[in-house]
Amino acid sequence: MDAHQLLNTHVKLLAFDFLTLKPIPYDSASFSRKGTRLSRAETVGVIVSRDFKPNRFLKFDIDDGTGCISCVLWLNQESSRHFSRRSPSHVRLISQMAADFASQVQIGVLARVRGRITSFRGNLQITVSDVVIERDPNSQILHWLDCLRLGRNCYDKVAVPPKA
Amino acid sequence: MATVASGALVSLEELVPSSPYFKHGVSLRVTGKLQEYNVGTAVAVIVDKNASLEIDTRHLNLNLRVGSIFQFIGELHLEPDHEAILKARVGRNVDGMDLNLYRQSLQLLRDFQAGQLNS
Repeated sequence: MDAHQLLNTHVKLLAFDFLTLKPIPYDSASFSRKGTRLSRAETVGVIVSRDFKPNRFLKFDIDDGTGCISCVLWLNQESSRHFSRRSPSHVRLISQMAADFASQVQIGVLARVRGRITSFRGNLQITVSDVVIERDPNSQILHWLDCLRLGRNCYDKVAVPPKA
Repeated sequence: MATVASGALVSLEELVPSSPYFKHGVSLRVTGKLQEYNVGTAVAVIVDKNASLEIDTRHLNLNLRVGSIFQFIGELHLEPDHEAILKARVGRNVDGMDLNLYRQSLQLLRDFQAGQLNS
């Protein structure tokens, strides 16, 4: 696999692996895992903290058993200048979807979270684009096994060795 | 928001005094079948194979049904003249979880983690 193919893929990373990603100088949109550039991640774990600021954001931590990943779900679409050029109906739809995700994220639920890998005050986090609440308690185990298989057979294979 | 400590994955059988996880204040994630629950003290007992652990559930809003499988995340408390007790901050019902697959996966996960950290 070409290392560039992973750049826009939601890579399934265990938290301990996610937390070792390194920022890339002059490229705030991607992070390095053993030399391979990544920009998106997927995690599955138990929600263990929740900090809700209505119409601003929801911050939460997700624990997959190997570490905790901080996540931020933006809820300010209708007031943000970032969305001012988009059609109001589209922005409203995104805003409603984010509010729906926020209501589902409760402490103790098992959630699958996808989003962009970002950094805030030097700490890695996921800026959330999707949340799915997992009803099957085996989802956590299957995610671990997916991460192991992909880590060994895919992500490690495309890793770029450091320059001598 | 301060980062929350991750609950280390541990089976009840591994929670013996010689274990590195058997320390006061260590954050753990434990899984087992609910054997008993005292409504007055909010203390539950979960079992897995031949091991058991007391769980302090006072901070949880959970329907604790004896015979169901539960998973708890919290901090282990070791107090003199008292058995170890996990002060749970998160709990969930995991009825339907394949416990054999879970135990096997824990070992695979540890092997993978050790391999990645050493590479």
